[in-house]
Amino acid sequence: MNESILELKETKLRTFLIQIKRSFVITKKDLKIYYNKPPVLIQGIIFPIILFIALTVGRNVQSIYLISGLMAMTAFLTSTSIAPIVFPWETMRKTFERLITCPISIKTILLGSVWSTFIYGIIFSLIPLIFGMLFLSPQLSINLLIIIIGMMVAGLAFACFSLILSVPSTDTPGNTMIFTILIKFPLIFLSPIFMPINLTPIAFISPLTYFVDIVNIGLGDISAFGIFGVLFDIGILLAFGFGFLLLAFALHGKTLERRFRG
Amino acid sequence: MEAIIVNNLSKHFGLVNHGIKNRKREKNQQETTIKAVDDITFEVEEGEIFGFLGPNGAGKTTTIRMMTGVLKPTTGDIKIFGVDAWQNQIAVKQVMGNVPEMANVYVSFSGWQNLMFVGEIYGVSKKERIKKAEDLLKKFDLYEKRNLKAKKYSKGMNQRLLLCMALMSNPEILFLDEPTSGLDVQSAKIIKQLIREYNTQGMTIFLTTHDMEVANELCDRIAIINHGKIISLDTPINIRKITQDYQAIDLYFTDGVKPQEIKNLQSIREVQEIQEGLHIIVENIHDSICEITDYVKSHNIKIKHLSTHQPKLEEAFLKIIERGIKNE
Repeated sequence: MNESILELKETKLRTFLIQIKRSFVITKKDLKIYYNKPPVLIQGIIFPIILFIALTVGRNVQSIYLISGLMAMTAFLTSTSIAPIVFPWETMRKTFERLITCPISIKTILLGSVWSTFIYGIIFSLIPLIFGMLFLSPQLSINLLIIIIGMMVAGLAFACFSLILSVPSTDTPGNTMIFTILIKFPLIFLSPIFMPINLTPIAFISPLTYFVDIVNIGLGDISAFGIFGVLFDIGILLAFGFGFLLLAFALHGKTLERRFRG
Repeated sequence: MEAIIVNNLSKHFGLVNHGIKNRKREKNQQETTIKAVDDITFEVEEGEIFGFLGPNGAGKTTTIRMMTGVLKPTTGDIKIFGVDAWQNQIAVKQVMGNVPEMANVYVSFSGWQNLMFVGEIYGVSKKERIKKAEDLLKKFDLYEKRNLKAKKYSKGMNQRLLLCMALMSNPEILFLDEPTSGLDVQSAKIIKQLIREYNTQGMTIFLTTHDMEVANELCDRIAIINHGKIISLDTPINIRKITQDYQAIDLYFTDGVKPQEIKNLQSIREVQEIQEGLHIIVENIHDSICEITDYVKSHNIKIKHLSTHQPKLEEAFLKIIERGIKNE
């Protein structure tokens, strides 16, 4: 038996750590290539601006809900913008087959996309936070630590959610965009953004609800989920993220082959 | 030692893969299942250049995709250096280099960035990556253009860059799907030359090609595949022998030759008239030349020019495919 294969076979823990490391290489690639692609810019930057205007102009929104709503919407839209286009884009450009024959698993590629879309989301979510701190801080008592933790956890959950959106085995990024809009927009409208959290059953199914609650707490409001609200929100978001990730691993495993037929 | 062992490998596309069970759909399963690869078995020796030939849709790319872990075999198994390729994908891919037929480089990256990316994915250290990339780019005549974005590369340059990417990790096996297809003469020449060079250094190479000349020039053995089945597996010389009865002589006379008389000679199989001469298909070159010489002497005819043709691999390929179709 070839010695190099034997060596790699016997060290499963090492293989796991190597795969994590290689997922960061995928992240670097995704960020360098996709940060300025039109579908990413439209979904990650243009849509939050348009929705912000549409949902706030002419309404008397309290500054606390203005910031939490804008942060939640920006985090959600930017943190779900890169991953869904990576797969159709790479299938279309014929780079995906080359990538899949490298010594990385589909899970590594998916994790790489999670990190890249997470970083992209965090960067853009900081903009409304900085805006809030600069212009509305006198009106608010800001707990930056809670907000930052919330951003990290929610960013990860949203990024994992975005992997589900990239499951359809199309080689046309436009098709994925339509599909993602059909899923993402109703989810935004179901969530209590730009308003106090109203605990209707429908609001519970949206991960945005829990992020909005964390930001509201971080901006001095009380949690909609009681005294341990922050911990509850973080726990739910982590559960969402983990669930989305496992589901994405399973679904992508099933649809992967369809990208190479014909 | 065998670098690759393929045992009873099949790949079926269609409803059968989705596990649909009701009776009505089961009937449809048979109708919609395509056997892209149908129970093939072969071995590739370490250090060998093994060629896979076949017409479009024969199953070449599906086979190579199963061997490189892109597609899961429906049945059968593939062993790379004795290790199951599907069960140990990461470990096996680590010792492989691959240039898929339809692959592309990252066009937003420069040639250099493409190589750095692949090197990092394979876990090559930064120092080694830089050295290896410089060596490869110089070897493949791309060094001067290393900082140019790949979208500005020609098809030939792209293919050379893909080959550089496949070689970044010093693979022990190289998979090449149509490596010279549609390339300019210079790029094809560089690629063929370097395939030979890397093979001389001990690298096992598995390639698919439509180009008989490439297979003839490079391969130690060739498998011919059609409709998902291997219909011939041998050395290029032995495959050409299949068409010994396709040897031919081109003859140009001064005048006065009657084609029918030539055709009546014992060793002549067929005579076709060409401009100012005859294209004669023979069974045995020696006997035919002797007979033709006797004929021209006895008829006082002068030969202006005579040339013999050995059977080409292309003719053998077509004949084998034709025979395979008839047998089906």
